[in-house]
Amino acid sequence: MATDTKTEPTDSDKLKQTNPDYDPNIVIETQNLTKIYKDFWGRPKVRALNALDLEIRKGEIFGLLGPNGSGKSTTIKLLLGLLFPTKGRALVFGQEATEVTKNERIGYLPEESYLYKYLTAEETLDFYGRLFDMPAKRRKERAAELIEQVGLGHAKRRQLKEYSKGMTRRIGLASALVNDPDLVLLDEPTSGLDPLGTREMKDMIIKLRDQGKTVVMCSHLLADVQDVCDRIAILYQGDLKELGRVDDLLKVTEETQVRAKGISPEAEAEIRQVIAKHGGETLSIENPKSTLEDLFLGIVRDSQNRPGIRSAGVSDKSKSKSK
Amino acid sequence: MNVDTQTLTSFPDWLASNSLLFLIVVVAAIIVSVVFGFLVAAFRHGPFEGFYVLAQVVGQAVPDFLKSSPRRIWAIGMLAVKEALRRKVVLATFAIFALTLLFGGWFMNSNSEKPDRIYVNFVMFGTQLLVLMMGMLISSFSLPDDIKNKTIYTIVTKPVRATEIVIGRLLGFGLLSTALLALMGVLSFIFVSRGLEHTHQIVGQTQTLAAFVPVSGEFSSLDKKRISENAILEAQTNRQNGHSHRLEVLVDIRKPSDPQPSNTSNIVNERVLDDGTTEYQMIVCSATAGHTHRVFVEGQGESAKITLGPPVGFFRARNPIYSDSLQFYDREGEPKTKGINVGNENKRRSYIGGGNPRQETSLAKVQFNFSSFYETRFPNLQKGDDGEQVLPLEMDIAVFRSFKDDVEKRVTAGIQFESVPNNEAGNRFVSDMLDFETNEFTIQTLPISRKLVGKVFAPDGTLVEQGQYDLFDDFAKNGQLKLTLKCRDYNQYLGVAQPDVYFRPSDAPYAWNFFKGYVGIWCQMIIVIAIGVALSTSLSAPITMLGTIVIIVLGFFSSFVQELASPNNIGGGPIESLIRVVTQQNMTSDLDTNAFITIVKNADFGISYLLYGLSFLAPDFSKFNFSNELSAGYSVSNSRLLIALSLTLVFSFGFTLLGYFSLKTREIAK
Repeated sequence: MATDTKTEPTDSDKLKQTNPDYDPNIVIETQNLTKIYKDFWGRPKVRALNALDLEIRKGEIFGLLGPNGSGKSTTIKLLLGLLFPTKGRALVFGQEATEVTKNERIGYLPEESYLYKYLTAEETLDFYGRLFDMPAKRRKERAAELIEQVGLGHAKRRQLKEYSKGMTRRIGLASALVNDPDLVLLDEPTSGLDPLGTREMKDMIIKLRDQGKTVVMCSHLLADVQDVCDRIAILYQGDLKELGRVDDLLKVTEETQVRAKGISPEAEAEIRQVIAKHGGETLSIENPKSTLEDLFLGIVRDSQNRPGIRSAGVSDKSKSKSK
Repeated sequence: MNVDTQTLTSFPDWLASNSLLFLIVVVAAIIVSVVFGFLVAAFRHGPFEGFYVLAQVVGQAVPDFLKSSPRRIWAIGMLAVKEALRRKVVLATFAIFALTLLFGGWFMNSNSEKPDRIYVNFVMFGTQLLVLMMGMLISSFSLPDDIKNKTIYTIVTKPVRATEIVIGRLLGFGLLSTALLALMGVLSFIFVSRGLEHTHQIVGQTQTLAAFVPVSGEFSSLDKKRISENAILEAQTNRQNGHSHRLEVLVDIRKPSDPQPSNTSNIVNERVLDDGTTEYQMIVCSATAGHTHRVFVEGQGESAKITLGPPVGFFRARNPIYSDSLQFYDREGEPKTKGINVGNENKRRSYIGGGNPRQETSLAKVQFNFSSFYETRFPNLQKGDDGEQVLPLEMDIAVFRSFKDDVEKRVTAGIQFESVPNNEAGNRFVSDMLDFETNEFTIQTLPISRKLVGKVFAPDGTLVEQGQYDLFDDFAKNGQLKLTLKCRDYNQYLGVAQPDVYFRPSDAPYAWNFFKGYVGIWCQMIIVIAIGVALSTSLSAPITMLGTIVIIVLGFFSSFVQELASPNNIGGGPIESLIRVVTQQNMTSDLDTNAFITIVKNADFGISYLLYGLSFLAPDFSKFNFSNELSAGYSVSNSRLLIALSLTLVFSFGFTLLGYFSLKTREIAK
């Protein structure tokens, strides 16, 4: 958005002055972020998130993974200011998460599309455009642009209650992008989409990253996360279990894989000996990868066996499994 | 009389006397909110962190209000309108209203003494009930449903402030309800004015003078009294809207020096007599069911065609000039704040006696003091029969008879005017006593001639001169005038309150008055919506509705609640009353004086004050209810309108503030 790019540097400058620790490259920062749900009498009921320390950098696609009840949605809600932290802080663009002005640069696609069903696609985008204080002309342009982008041109004047789940998802995404946000939070972005729609969504996410935006997504569809995410965090029962680059996390460092071709069985046996002794024409020697699914399930099992400890030996497990 | 004393309060007076109370309430509300807010925050976060959280919330309130974007407020408001329309509550409300109007006419008694009052009360009460219910429903369900459906997530994750969510909703629902109320108002006006629209025809073969018969006796076949003693012919109309009228041909003889009759449309015969005087024969229509009709005559003599016009006398909006204060004097002439108590006759009125045969010179009287009584306030003075201008003085006086006497004879009262000299050295104008028969249960008009016969007294009480003096130029030269009312019959009493005696210089247009009446309903509706929106920020829809109903009920009965919570009630406060109930002691017997009772009494005192204070949280809805004025035919004073609008503003702002803080401090997600 033209106006946003104009105001962005001034916002950052302002924040630098008021918050000396503010680093414009860090979009999201949580410090000891904890959320405990309490009952009516104020007694702790559920510890939904426990001392989360996280830094999400500008321009990356960050995935939040975890089984149901692991604290993914709680983290997103804390980052959006929908929940207040029990302890710790959540900073978005260097501002407290409860500060409304930060929302000017955020786009959010909820888990299910909580939209006003009696509005049409055009009215929906116009309404959200108004909430960003966009002038009428700009709203109209932006709505037309986004409807085209998400492929809903044929249904733009139909009420959302007539939409299929996939169409609702698309209009949800369009409304999350209405302000051309710098940070996009996506909760289960591919849920309800057909394989083609899933592909388009993933392409869109990568395109957003290429435009310099930061994307944070949480998903149960591990293949999707593996396809698009640069870094992931795995949560289990409110604890951060794993954090790092997808490539690094999936690498099995203790193993070496040799790939060769055009070798007879006799030769193969010989090569084995020779490699064991001297080495031959090596076609490929690399670190093999397990699947994200293996990693994820490994962490969950490990956490069930040893609660409260950050998963360390995951790679060992995947190593033995990949053999 | 139907207009109560609050109609006399002028806006500046009200503002002056209520500003302090308002300030106290605001300061008390701030203190209570801060303490309560701190307790909640301390409970959640601990005392130090709690203080920080509270300071942060309070600190953000000012920028949140100042930086609210009109575009966002408008967007949320319009969404609220669409949502409310989708719920069909508005449509249902309108459908019920339309049905009521369609069939309501069947059940109205247009034959009553004041059918316009029945019609006006019906539409006003119906509209009020329906729009208040609708306002409560649309405002109570909106936000809780948004939170339940999580659609609110898509709003609060945009740069939308809590102020914008609350004000936007108030604006949206307010606009929608205003549009509906306006429509209902227009339809009500048409219903009321068309509902009583009718005319009559003369019973007989022709619609001419031939249908008239000579007058016989005091009563006609309709068993109604004759309109005038000068009547020579009479006829009657057909029944229409449940009533009929009596028509009479009157004879009016005027000298050449006399003014011509002001109305010529009803003259059926006109001839010059031998002595030079002119005889006019005119047809008049009797007043029945609160109205009369203008009579139109086409042509002259026997064959003149006679028609009756539309009803005259319904839907007045009297614009009275009330006195500024009231002073009672007892039999000895001593000033008193109240007159005689004649029992539980009327709570508003106080009574003055007419003396008795043993004490013939009763000095009991009531004095109405007018200030700013200037001629400019009477722009359209009519001329009386003597050619002098007359001021219409209207009265609604209650009569209390301490013995039956001749029940056919009405109790006589007398009025007298007196000037108020600027200083002690000034002479005093005192008019002669004008006696008249009181007419209980009706508003009687007494034309006061501008030229009054009276006397001028020097400050020491000696008579300076006597003669005819001008009411404006002599009596009320400085704008001040005293009007004294006395009862002139022994052993009978007259009851008055301040709004019961007034001058009626002009009437306001009825449509304008009707509009003002609906502004009163509008005020109530806006407050109800503000309450609904405020409560719905933290409560679920059914609880919000319940809370709104409680506040509305408190508002409608606020004076009763305040009376109930008054610490000086006979029988004590709630705990003491309970003790009396349990121990079967009556309200007036003294309780034992011991430590327990002392504690109980002190506790009751505290509870009473708390309840008394809480009763101010609900707006006094009687301040917004103008249907009494409207149905009784009085113009709603601008002061009352301003008071209602100010109260609406204050309460709406107060509840908006409550809604803001409650939304700001709650977690939207669960």
